[in-house]
Formats: sequence, structure tokens, C-alpha cells
Amino acid sequence: MAKVLVVAEIKQGVLKSSTPELLSKARAIGASTAVVAIGSNIESLVPELAGAGSDTQYIADDPGLELFSAGPVAACVVDAARQFGASLIWFGFSESSKAVAPRVAAQLDAACATEINDISLNGDQIEVIRPAITNKVMQRVKVNTEKLVAVVRAGAFEATEGISGTENVVKLSPPEMDLKALVREILTDASGEIDLADADIVVSVGRGAKDQAGIDLVRGLADDLHAGFGSSRAMVDGGFMAHNKQVGQTGKIVAPTLYMAIGISGAIQHLAGMSGSKVILAVNKDPEAPIFNVADYGIVGDLFEVVPILQEEIRKIKAKQ
Amino acid sequence: MKILTTVKKVVDVELNMHVKDGALVEDGMQYVTNAWDENAVETASQLKENNGAETTLVSIGGGDNTDIIRRCYAMGIENGIHVDDPALEKADSSIYAKVLQKVYEAGDYDLVITGKQAQDTDSGQTGIILAEYLGLPCVSNVIALEVIDDQHIKVSRSGDTGTEIVELTLPAVISVDVSINEPRLPQMRGIMMAKKKKITEMDLAALGTSADEVGADAPKSEIIEFMASQSRQAGQKFEGDAAEITAKVVDLLANEAKVI
Repeated sequence: MAKVLVVAEIKQGVLKSSTPELLSKARAIGASTAVVAIGSNIESLVPELAGAGSDTQYIADDPGLELFSAGPVAACVVDAARQFGASLIWFGFSESSKAVAPRVAAQLDAACATEINDISLNGDQIEVIRPAITNKVMQRVKVNTEKLVAVVRAGAFEATEGISGTENVVKLSPPEMDLKALVREILTDASGEIDLADADIVVSVGRGAKDQAGIDLVRGLADDLHAGFGSSRAMVDGGFMAHNKQVGQTGKIVAPTLYMAIGISGAIQHLAGMSGSKVILAVNKDPEAPIFNVADYGIVGDLFEVVPILQEEIRKIKAKQ
Repeated sequence: MKILTTVKKVVDVELNMHVKDGALVEDGMQYVTNAWDENAVETASQLKENNGAETTLVSIGGGDNTDIIRRCYAMGIENGIHVDDPALEKADSSIYAKVLQKVYEAGDYDLVITGKQAQDTDSGQTGIILAEYLGLPCVSNVIALEVIDDQHIKVSRSGDTGTEIVELTLPAVISVDVSINEPRLPQMRGIMMAKKKKITEMDLAALGTSADEVGADAPKSEIIEFMASQSRQAGQKFEGDAAEITAKVVDLLANEAKVI
């Protein structure tokens, strides 16, 4: 039987949705499941980790793990993978995962696949499906090793309702610090903002907003919807939006229930970062903008005129609900 | 400081891709420098200009890479190595990393700079795996770099909860994000000078290794099929009176898509 180790995604003490999603998929393919949780003051998450569908919880809880550092995190994952005898080691999609997964693969002499959309097991044969060439094609990849380390795209798997595992905690010894790559500090993003990576609704602003006043207008729409507020690369390069707000292939890859692209033309790198969204709404002046090729609903119009009407109409609908 | 930077020749992602019988249709494809590698080249060139670093680039595979390497020369890189071998045709990230390991070990480098990822595979693994093979510290997704002294650099990494400030002891491996700099456009003088510079061409034997040693005989993973992207279909697009069409779309979002 396949053994899946899921690396728990914990951000500021909160377990993220990728963890139950990956555990659900592991159970669906009939694998036995374990989770490894790494951080500081995270032991209280054990019941939640079991509830998410894991039958063993490897816990590395140490003050030295407070600030993310890829080397020590990889060491913990490798330790858990060896103890569990994992054949599949799965990460949710994040910058941390992308930094840690290749290290784990190299140490376990395993294959490594990033941004996978699907995985299949046929006996011992593992195959994955993933996008490539800036999302323009998909590739089916055959794994020739017994072990695979994979980073799964946001939204690839759904959490099964009513799933549950059992508590069986194994404590891991704290890893050595990486003295040659010392993390001095983390300049944290503004608190109170909704995390793009797991927001239910994401509103993104593009070049059509022109300047700060336009951005503030679109931000107002995001606030009304309690949505994550993102951006195209143009607005980041223009200095209007922070780098970590950029949705796209080299920024955040998001897959919310509703994605609103406001004044975004839809360069392929942007499309690669959001086309996994369930429903896409686009507002753009140019009826030929490529964003309309992926949008479920398109409004051809000037965002300065359309956004206030959107806000008003949404208010009306919400009042009725 | 001796810098090794990596550059890959990739298919031009701005063109349309077509798939037939599980393979990419090669007809009409064009090949260009991996755009994300240009940020690595720019980082190396700036370190040459500001800190007196010595710069070498390596490109693996791709057949005739002369144009790509010359372009990097015109951007300021001093030495170029091209490693190609029929055995590398189906190389995965770990095989590339093994080849890079051989190049690194032959050169006594202090810093390896790679781009964030290659636009053809979108994997982002090779530099990180290389660091593991070499036992070197590594930071990926670097958005700023500062030289402290001969043995230390300070880098900023765009992470999940903010910007991580990391002090690296050299030798080290970094991968740089596109936001680290704006790659320069080669100037005419540089382009002319680049034509005269030599490129060191090597196969695996010349590099002192073999297909077996770099794992090219047994890749850990291999692409067995390409498929057309499950591209989204364009939905309903509304033009006309802004108030009318916007109200219509909000109604659809609420009552058809049920997402607000």
C-alpha cells in the first residue's frame, strides 16, 4: 500500500486548507496517511491534523523553527519520511514548499515534481499531470523512482466532507540550524490583510487602474467582498503594488471560487497564475483583451465607471440574501 | 568573487503551442533565452561592475546555443561554457544538477546564480538540487542582494509571510526572482565585442564525466506525453450600457454561478 506523507501548511499558527485537501486525496487513492507539522508552538494543532485525515502526526515543535528556513524544514520532512517509510511526500503550493521540496527529493534520492494537477498510481507506477510552458500545455510525467516528492497546485484536490484520522503523535528531534544560511529576520506583510493564497474571492487590479486613485477604487470593491486584493505585474513594476501581491506565474498562483480581474489585459504569465479559479469575471475597456478568453463573465467598459456600479449592485444583492 | 550563472535555451512561450499525438508540434517553434535567466545574468553583471566579480555562464543542452551565449556576453558576462551531449536529451532537473555540479567543481566558484525557473518546464528545482549535491547553502526566490565581504552576502527572499532576510556564507547557490532587477538590453558595442569571444564547447566526456555518472541513463522522471491545455472557454461577454450590463453580470454571479 502506498504511504503518503503530507507536509502540513501552517501560516502564523493556522492550518491551511491544502492539508485536508491533500490528505483527502491520499485516502481516496487508498494510501495510508501521515502528516508532518513543523514550526514553533504548533503542538496544539494535533487534533486538527488528525481530524484532517492523518493517522500519524510527526511533530517538529521548536523555538528554532519560528522563522522559516528551508534547510531545517527539509531535515524534518526527511526525518518524518524515513520514519514513516513514505513513498509519496506531498506539499501544498507555497513559496516555502517550492524551496523545500527539491531539497527533500535530493536527500531521499527521489523524483521531484512541482505544480502538479493530478497524480495516479497503477500498482507501483506513479504518474503525475502538470502544466508546463507557462500553462500552454499539460504534460504526463512518469516517475521512475520508488519515491516521489510533489508540490500540488492550489485547488487541484478537494477536501472530503466528514473525513477523519486518528491521533498518533511522533515527536521529531529539533533539526540543526543552517548556520551558512542564517535567517536574520522576516519583514512580515501588513497584518489584517486577507491572504491571497487562500482567499475565497480575489480581486486583482491591473494597468487599467492607471494610478493610486484607481487602485484605491478597486481596493474598495475587494474590501466590500472581504476578498484578497491582488495585482498584475504591471502595477508591481510601476511601484503601485507590493511584490507579494502579484498574481501570476512568478508571483502568487491562486485558485479562488471567484476571481475578478479589473483592468487586467491578461498576459500569459498572469493567466498562468489564476486560470484555475472556479469563476472568473473580467472588466476591461478593450473588447479584444485576452483576459476575456478565460473569463466566464466579461464586462467591456471603463473600470472607473463599472466598479462603482459593481459595488452598488453587489450591495443590493447582499441586502436581499 | 567568482560567479557561475546558468542560462537555458527554451521554446518561445509567447507563441502558440500545438500538441499532436502526445508530442509538441515542432514546426513553427522558436527558441529563445529563458527570460527568467536574464535576471540571473543581470545580477552577475552588476556584481562584476560593482564588486569586481569574475563572471562565467554555463548553458546545458539546446544544440547551437551561440546566439544565446553571445547575448549574455553582450550583457556583460566574461566566459561562456556550453555543455551538450546526445545523452542529455531527456534530462530532468536532477541530471541538469549533476552536470552543473561537474562544471562547478572544475571552476572554484564562490556563488552560483540561477533564474527562478525555466519557462519550458516551470519546475524551479535545478539550482536547489545542485546546492544539495554540493552541500552548499541555498536561498531561492531572491529579490535583493548585498555583498557584505568576500565570504558573506545578505539576500532578501520573497517568502510566504513576508520578506526573509538571510545571511549566506559563500560559496552558495541562489535563484533570483524577476523583481530583483531589470535586465539590460545589449548595446551595439557589446554585441560587436561578443562576436569575437570564444565559447567553451564540451560534451560529458570533456567535462570528465559520463551519461552513467550524471544519471542520464536512468532519469528519475520522464515526460511521456504532452496534452493540450485544458484551456477555459470564453464565457459571456457583455457590451453596452455600463449600468445595465454590470447589473446583469452581478445577477449572474449571484444566481447562475452562485459565487457571491
